[in-house]
Amino acid sequence: MEEEIVTHKQLKKLARRRSVLAGIAGSLILAATPLVPAQAQEGLGTADNPVEIRIMANEAFANSWQTTLVPEFNKKYPNVHVTFDGVPYTELLAKMMLDATSPNPDYDVLLVDDPWVPQLAEIGALMDLKGEQIAALTDADYDWGDFNAAPLAAGEWKGIQYAVPVRSNMLLRFYNRSLYEQAGLPEPTPAQTWDEFFSDAEKLVRDTNADGKDDVWAVDTYFVRESLTPTIWQSILNANGGQLLDESGAPAFANETGQKSLEAHKRLIDYAPPGALGHGFSESLQAFRQGLVANMFNWGSVYKSTAVDPKSTTLTVDEVGIQVLPVGSAQAGAHRGIWIAGISSKTEQLEASWAFIQWLTSKEGESINAALVGSFPARKSTLNGAPAEPWLGPVYKTLQNAYEVAADGQMWRIRSPKSDAAQQILADEIARGLAGQVSAEEALNTAAAKISKVLK
Amino acid sequence: MSTELAKETRAAPTRRRGRTGDLLVRWSFMVPAILLLAVMLAYPIFYTIDISFSRFDLSSFGAGEWVGWENYIEVMDDYRFWESLRVTMVYLVIALPLQVVLGFGIAFLINAEWAGRGLIRALFIIPMVVAPVVAGGMWRMILDPLWGILNYWLGFIGIGPLDWFGDPTLAMAAVIIIDTWRWTPFIVLIATAALLALPKDVFEAAKIDGANWWSTLWSVAVPLLVPVIAATFVIRWLGAVKMFDIVLAATYGGPGKATNVINLFIYEEAFRSLRFAESAAMAVIVLIVTMVLTGLFLYGSRKLEELF
Repeated sequence: MEEEIVTHKQLKKLARRRSVLAGIAGSLILAATPLVPAQAQEGLGTADNPVEIRIMANEAFANSWQTTLVPEFNKKYPNVHVTFDGVPYTELLAKMMLDATSPNPDYDVLLVDDPWVPQLAEIGALMDLKGEQIAALTDADYDWGDFNAAPLAAGEWKGIQYAVPVRSNMLLRFYNRSLYEQAGLPEPTPAQTWDEFFSDAEKLVRDTNADGKDDVWAVDTYFVRESLTPTIWQSILNANGGQLLDESGAPAFANETGQKSLEAHKRLIDYAPPGALGHGFSESLQAFRQGLVANMFNWGSVYKSTAVDPKSTTLTVDEVGIQVLPVGSAQAGAHRGIWIAGISSKTEQLEASWAFIQWLTSKEGESINAALVGSFPARKSTLNGAPAEPWLGPVYKTLQNAYEVAADGQMWRIRSPKSDAAQQILADEIARGLAGQVSAEEALNTAAAKISKVLK
Repeated sequence: MSTELAKETRAAPTRRRGRTGDLLVRWSFMVPAILLLAVMLAYPIFYTIDISFSRFDLSSFGAGEWVGWENYIEVMDDYRFWESLRVTMVYLVIALPLQVVLGFGIAFLINAEWAGRGLIRALFIIPMVVAPVVAGGMWRMILDPLWGILNYWLGFIGIGPLDWFGDPTLAMAAVIIIDTWRWTPFIVLIATAALLALPKDVFEAAKIDGANWWSTLWSVAVPLLVPVIAATFVIRWLGAVKMFDIVLAATYGGPGKATNVINLFIYEEAFRSLRFAESAAMAVIVLIVTMVLTGLFLYGSRKLEELF
């Protein structure tokens, strides 16, 4: 009991200790006050102590961004070292998820394909870019409202903005003006319907050297068994007023519109070069660049290498037209394929990571990205402003049109944490339908049943 | 007697200690190998089995809730799984015998003394060291109906143009051609070594007895080579059953699903569809089927050895 009694002396001792502790704490606070701006500076590095951020990206463009865009970024932020690691597209999502779920992820910034945001958001891999933490680091003149709705929506899931467009892409129609002229056909317009397209296609398959064999064809695009092939069928489906899923999230494509659209996709093979059933991105691009096909449905981002750069194409800017896909019973066609950048929720370099993304997606960064590596912008002001190169003028006009078309027809892949599984099922079944192994009806019924199960 | 018994009694613990020491020494040599095998081989297999009975938790990237046989039932219910197994069987049934026959045939031909034999043997190794994805991509260019050189050459003898990647039968033929190009040299190497190791006196005796080339091959060489042929078949079977990289690079499993071999399907389900639990279940099924068939082949090869 004696020990529990607190004497007056002891109380005085405690009070003295408290005052000493308070003094020390006060001194520490005072000492730390000048450190606040210094720490903010450290978030973006100093000359003596630079910070490093690592970015996981598609190997298709990681290297060119490293060598071309990073030096531009470093002009403004010299103390942030940026390292891009390129990963093949087919392994990118799995590697991102594996990294994001580790206790100490290697990557600060993730460059994500259009349908992946729900999957990464569901596992808590990405930060809310409009949340308080990042809002405090965002420049006052960073204009979210300037983004076109369709590309910005690619980075959003359940009302939260997890990522922002850095390399906007749309499935577009490229056409060769010379081949249209040689076939005696007028240049197509964005108002051309699928029926008119097929009518022209018959005349575009020709034997130009009179050796008895056709040597130019009407069209080439994705027919091979891979996950992007269904985007062609889907753009026809959407143009005909169909949708992949209904409002309840159930498959809504296994119907007459879906079948008609798959049959139209299959009919394209009749006007495509031999072996087209094995053609995808590279093969169709190669055929178009060599002047062997009059039309190509492919991603808009290939325009520069298809029409401008003589090292990679036999065509010139004057020869290559670009517009949205033909009009179905409801509207024109397109398909969204946006690369978006998000920040890892476990990053220790938040300020530097956001500085990079903010710069890259600012009006200035978008223009540099477009001019130097040919990436397409998502901002209305960039698309409507003066293009950095003359050839970008018609391309930007088409892109703006395609964003609007895609937004109207909801022309994007399934938005779900299981979107890749659903896309793979579509790839399998569309491939069977195109190869004639099953009817369009059976292919779509099978796909619908499987997707319904996967999305449950 | 009692002295001997006393000696025996004293020696017994010493022997026991010696035996225990010997056992300890033996195990100490084996433990690193056992640990290595457990970590590198057993752990991944048990992890795969664990995943196959669970719901895969993407947020922890590991096995989640235990679901029993659910993944197996789902896989068994998926026509794509059975279709891929069928495609794999077609590929194996054609490619394996073709490669073994070609490999031993070529070895028999180049085993004869002729100038340049050494160079040909060296050249034979090249396909084996080419990465499968590179081989697939290279052959894709060669066989391409629009740009490929093979159709161009075939055109001179009035064949084609053949749609190697658009026709299901030709696409399977293309996969078998690429795989055979890659792996026949491996069999040639084994067969050459086996032929060189055959006893010469038996062949000399056959020659003295008046056996012709065919009789020597069929009645002397082949029976002597049966154990090697059987072993080569089993080794090649184990390699071929895993094949998917050539298909991935050459045909993407198409047209339709004509060349979608089981390992490509498992790979796609795991790394593209992120359905790791279902693909683990498929991997376990394929592992069991492969083990059973390998056991049958080993049993068959032993019987053949006894027969010859």
